[in-house]
Amino acid sequence: MSQIIVITSGKGGVGKTTTTANIGVGLAMRGNKVALIDTDTGLRNLDLLLGLENRILYDLVDVTSGRVQYKKALVRHKKYENLYLLPTSQVKDKSAVNPDQLVKLCEEMKREFDFIIIDCPAGIEQGFKTAIAAADTAIVVTMPEISAVRDADKIIGELGRADKENIKLIVNRIRPQMVEKGDMLDMTDIDEILSVACIGQVPDDESVVVATNRGEPVITMNNSTAAQAYKNIVARLCGENVAFYKPPKEGFFARLKKLFGLL
Amino acid sequence: MNDIVTIKGLKYGLQLTFAKGASFDDVQANLLDKLQSGSGFFIRGTTVFVPKGYFAEEQNEALRRMFHRHGMLFSTELKRPNLAPPSRDKAAPAPKPKAVDEAQKMMIINHTIRGGQEVKVNSSVLICGNVNPGAQIIAGGSIDIRGTCRGFVHAGAFGDKTACVVADRLMPAQIRIADIIARAPDEPEKVSQAERAMIRGNRIIFEPVAR
Repeated sequence: MSQIIVITSGKGGVGKTTTTANIGVGLAMRGNKVALIDTDTGLRNLDLLLGLENRILYDLVDVTSGRVQYKKALVRHKKYENLYLLPTSQVKDKSAVNPDQLVKLCEEMKREFDFIIIDCPAGIEQGFKTAIAAADTAIVVTMPEISAVRDADKIIGELGRADKENIKLIVNRIRPQMVEKGDMLDMTDIDEILSVACIGQVPDDESVVVATNRGEPVITMNNSTAAQAYKNIVARLCGENVAFYKPPKEGFFARLKKLFGLL
Repeated sequence: MNDIVTIKGLKYGLQLTFAKGASFDDVQANLLDKLQSGSGFFIRGTTVFVPKGYFAEEQNEALRRMFHRHGMLFSTELKRPNLAPPSRDKAAPAPKPKAVDEAQKMMIINHTIRGGQEVKVNSSVLICGNVNPGAQIIAGGSIDIRGTCRGFVHAGAFGDKTACVVADRLMPAQIRIADIIARAPDEPEKVSQAERAMIRGNRIIFEPVAR
């Protein structure tokens, strides 16, 4: 039974594309056959995060307009053989793909793949409507920040209007120290407003930036807290029951060591 | 035989009295006879009064059904029925008391209203769920929220100053009742009890309610 998941957020810059890349790689590492579809036409980034930009031959617009078969446009990941990317066009805009075309494409791809993950553009306009059309599960990414939570709430409302019942939440870029001091929204604040099942709490981690620039999703790195959080998300998506990761309190010595670059 | 039931005309109906010792079955048979004989007494739409407590409840019910079948109303209270009598002329329906109807109606919404969503109703509204920040509720009547209210609420939007807003946790960004506006304090405060907002004097006040 294959799943079609859309990763969306409303607000930009909360980590939709990063989440898409990491979940995709995580699922592929577990042996699933995964396709990632970038629907952020005109502002594509997913190929960069996966380090696949130089291998793109055709794009989503070529496929939906019937110019080529989708299999020709798929880019296989260089390291994970069962991970594929269907990139979008960088020169066209969102109106180049319509919801029906994507639904048709996903129906076709469903036969080949265990998971189809759609990276949604920011906003609630046509690009969003196209991206969610085919999905049976939606993952809403947000950040512990009132504007991101407000937009996530709006998106959840929009998803409800589009009859998407299966909605999950990922809270990205949490800074445990700030939450502890009460300077940042904590999970209960977010939960109270959104009241959607949370499947991941990802800490703000510098290694994400490093990994992004290198074109290797952070989930492949060891000793990164964000990587562990993404692995847990992937496990939960596969139906496992994993406890939420609580970052250990940083003691005085740990901070001192960090200060001197020993850790 | 005829005096088992005596019919007396009143200003707004017919009063029935019954002979002493007559059983319910006799009375019913007698009345049915009279109804079917097409007596001039029983005009469609008339109310028939039977003294309260004369018959048992289910017997009254049987009579009520019998009269209804013949197009008449049945009552045990000697007063003008508040129901408009069924119109004899079907083409001209009785005028409805519209203003009262609208205020008494209540719309029920069984989900959370999220940011960017808007509920506009002419009547009152009951929301079983939260009203999230950025959501708008505008009602002609009152607003009852079984959950937390963080959005924008406007009760009595057509100017009804008696309208109120009730919520389990009432912390709206802005609240309007009729033409009076209040906003949330700049320092958010913890609300732990159900509250009701209404107009007192010329301002909106919050008071705790039990529910």
